[in-house]
Amino acid sequence: MFLQQLINGLALGSTYALIALGYTMVYGIITLINFAHGEIFMVGAFVGLLMVSTFKLNIFLAILIAMISCMLLGIVIERVAYRPLRKSSRLSALISAIGVSIFLSSLAQMIFGADAKGFPESAFPVHQIRVGTADISTLQLLIIGVSAALMIALEFIVKRTKIGKAMRATAEDYNTAALMGINVNMIISFTFALGSALAAAGGVLVGLLFNAVSFNMGLMAGLKAFAAAVLGGIGSIPGAMLGGLLLGITEVFGVAAGYSSYRDAIAFTILVFVLMVKPTGLLGKKIQKKV
Amino acid sequence: MGEAVQSMVGQIDPYLLQIVVIIGIAIVLALGLNVITGLTGQLSLGHAAFMSIGAFTSALLTIKLQTPFSVNLLVTGALTAAVGVLIGYPILRLTGDYLAICTLGFAEIVKVIFLNLEITNKAFGLSVPPPISATPLPITVWLVVFLAITLVSFIQNSRFGRALKAIRCDEIAAEAMGIDVARYKVQSFAIGTFLAGVGGGLYAHFISFINPSDFGFLKSVDILSMIVLGGLGSIPGCIIGSALLSAAPEFLRFMATYRMLVYGGLLVFMMIFRPNGLMGGINFMEIFLKLLGRKPGMKKLQERWRQP
Amino acid sequence: MYFKKTTALLLAAMLAMTISCKKVDETAPGAPSKGQAGAIKIGFLGALTGDVAMFGKPTLEGMKMAADELNAAGGVLGKKIEIVETDNRGDKQEGASVTQKMISRDNVIAIVGDPTTGITKVAAPIAQKARVVLLSAGATGPGVVENGDFIFRDTLLDSIAIPACINFFAKERGYRNVAVVTSDNNDYSVGLSQTFLAAAKVNGIRIIADEKIKDGDKDFSAQVTNIKATKPDVIFFSGYYTEGALFMKEARKQGLTVNMFGGDGLFSPKLMELGGSAVEGSMLALGFSPEQATPVAAKFVEGFKSRYGSEPGLYAAQGYDAILLLASAIKSANSPDPKLFKESLARINKFEGVSGTISMQQNREPIKSPLALLEVKGGKFTLKAKVPVKIDQR
Repeated sequence: MFLQQLINGLALGSTYALIALGYTMVYGIITLINFAHGEIFMVGAFVGLLMVSTFKLNIFLAILIAMISCMLLGIVIERVAYRPLRKSSRLSALISAIGVSIFLSSLAQMIFGADAKGFPESAFPVHQIRVGTADISTLQLLIIGVSAALMIALEFIVKRTKIGKAMRATAEDYNTAALMGINVNMIISFTFALGSALAAAGGVLVGLLFNAVSFNMGLMAGLKAFAAAVLGGIGSIPGAMLGGLLLGITEVFGVAAGYSSYRDAIAFTILVFVLMVKPTGLLGKKIQKKV
Repeated sequence: MGEAVQSMVGQIDPYLLQIVVIIGIAIVLALGLNVITGLTGQLSLGHAAFMSIGAFTSALLTIKLQTPFSVNLLVTGALTAAVGVLIGYPILRLTGDYLAICTLGFAEIVKVIFLNLEITNKAFGLSVPPPISATPLPITVWLVVFLAITLVSFIQNSRFGRALKAIRCDEIAAEAMGIDVARYKVQSFAIGTFLAGVGGGLYAHFISFINPSDFGFLKSVDILSMIVLGGLGSIPGCIIGSALLSAAPEFLRFMATYRMLVYGGLLVFMMIFRPNGLMGGINFMEIFLKLLGRKPGMKKLQERWRQP
Repeated sequence: MYFKKTTALLLAAMLAMTISCKKVDETAPGAPSKGQAGAIKIGFLGALTGDVAMFGKPTLEGMKMAADELNAAGGVLGKKIEIVETDNRGDKQEGASVTQKMISRDNVIAIVGDPTTGITKVAAPIAQKARVVLLSAGATGPGVVENGDFIFRDTLLDSIAIPACINFFAKERGYRNVAVVTSDNNDYSVGLSQTFLAAAKVNGIRIIADEKIKDGDKDFSAQVTNIKATKPDVIFFSGYYTEGALFMKEARKQGLTVNMFGGDGLFSPKLMELGGSAVEGSMLALGFSPEQATPVAAKFVEGFKSRYGSEPGLYAAQGYDAILLLASAIKSANSPDPKLFKESLARINKFEGVSGTISMQQNREPIKSPLALLEVKGGKFTLKAKVPVKIDQR
């Protein structure tokens, strides 16, 4: 039973991590809590569902299409709702993000209805693998694998490529980066596109895993991912992964210990305590304030 | 007097009256958050949790102890503020988004606890009897609004308020100026949560039935939107933001199911149109004096009344 | 400069408000007062958007269908029935405003709704004070009809349904060990579980697991693992169909083969849509049987399918019944005055509704008898047994 719960926790934690990665990256570059990130995740799931159930596409093709369409969506959202507010207070951008989030979820509800929808059972042939006393599904393995791979890929892009260097420069100092000849608008658009594509991939995979896609799936997922990102140290990519896994595992073991009615409280209590001890999250950098 | 007022209130269209009450309650809540976020600059995403603590405390005070409404509200406010201090003391040393997520987490924890407590009747919630008071509820609500506005504007222009603004502008500089940042932050948190508690108490008696799920993340976000939309740190902004956003679902009603779509779009549009909020950066004293045609000798007043 | 901009904005906002207010006022003077000439207006209270829209929407669809059918047959007392549609987003504050609006602006004589207990409890005192009938189609929790003599409901009550079924449960199926799953933030589910636990005690059924979930949760893996370890005979699931379907999916994934049993909250074609083969064998108690439908019910199902292109669920049936119940009460009182027809509504006996045969008890709560125990077989709800309910309070 312990092994089974550990796997449950890892799979759940990976779904949090999958969303938290995009969250933390966008935050790392422009320090905006992108509350619409959860909704992009939801839109991605719906696009994937539409591709699989209506257009009868292969699931991997569906994920690809979902990623591309959400990339575009992310760029448009940034252009319309965040760019005009880049120079104003961060709270204004936050409210704008909330507006986008309300808009997207209402739109999804108008189009797809209020009920949750499931993927057809043939969408992804799930096999159970027996390890000792535990059942692992191939889908759980896929999700754990994909989130780990994406974390490494992201870390590579940000730390080792030229555009990643530009991203970090923009994060460090927006104006200086612009003076250095970096097209900051392009970099920020790219960051959003990348984050949104990640969210879309996450949306389809999570929709597959739980077999449910609904217009309001983004809100709670977004909040948990936000919590995971902060737990790991917001802005840190390995931190998001670590935070997500930690959150998922504590939640599952809380339930396993018989506290299923306090499930959400457990996750957030851990978060609050970690921040008490380490105010910048587990892997967060200490920000030295200049005086 | 009670009866005369009662019959007078009875004359007003009940639908309109209801909206007016909703706006009043929203203003009290927004003013509370305005002290924390607008004045002191500490982002809180858990205001609804304090509102729920107030709502349940106030409801239980009426149900179990038949407390008169005025006493009830004061006790409720004080108790909520006490919880606020208890929570605020450890978490207020966090900054920015870490604080935000902590308040959000705290709100979720409060919700889950209320869902499991016997005394709050778990998921069933509490039916709240009418307040024990001779004054009709709408009058009470607006009396509280008036008092809250007086309180907050008094704070804003006091030594204490200026210290809070200093913390918002630059914590380190404020500390260097000899301001006890930690103490002031907790104090502002206490005032904000006091008003949240009172607002929650009013809400509970107005709506007559409460359960823990009413006070979720979205409620906190609603209140935050009101103060940001109105203009952070501005009392007229608070009032206008609360009035607009709490009446918006009603006057957007003709759009039927497109309503929330439009609401979301409007939030984005209004933020882009006025990034500092509707009332942000407007000096009301200046306008007032200009209207009176008084120009000279204004410099001093201007300094004194300058809005953030 | 700033000043001008803001003033303009404020003026625009005020203008918008006055216009929207005016629109309502224009109809007000000419509108008939309560229960006089013109159409009979019945309000719909429920969510068309937001998290609980899946309960509000079908309720409204059922109501509209009933109203159209009645109007096609000449209306009630020679007047047309008009449904006043509103949306409360599942928000209490809006529920209160909307109830008040329907009563004081639209002059409705009755309100049907809300499908959730919470908002019904907010609306009931308002309706009672204004002397307008409120007939809840969906609220199951306690403390609704206690608000006064204008407040009714047409929902099957768990407190009656579950004890009746549990007997069958223990005797016919021989279930002894039960795992209970409750949705913590859902008052219907918490209430149903409490009723079940009490009834189980009397019937000597052991509760070997008591797991909590939340409405809106998607991941149930940890709870399923817990339950699997206790080896139950059956799972009692008191929540709604979405979570029920997802829970069973997870159970099957982990190789837990026992079935699920639940209340009428599970009754929806969406249960099978979402759950697929995982919900085969799931059972639930309901006020009517879609398989052995009465002629009225069969006609309703056919009509609903051709009108909306989908199978009707419980909420559609209850919304439909609500309008018919009101119409029948108005007819027998021979007046659309709520003060008069509320009396005849309270006397409804053995009314052939589509959601069951309805009798109102003295406390304005309905009894539906016999109960149907349904089982999912081949992706369809099939009748397992009929359980009679004693009507003792008449």
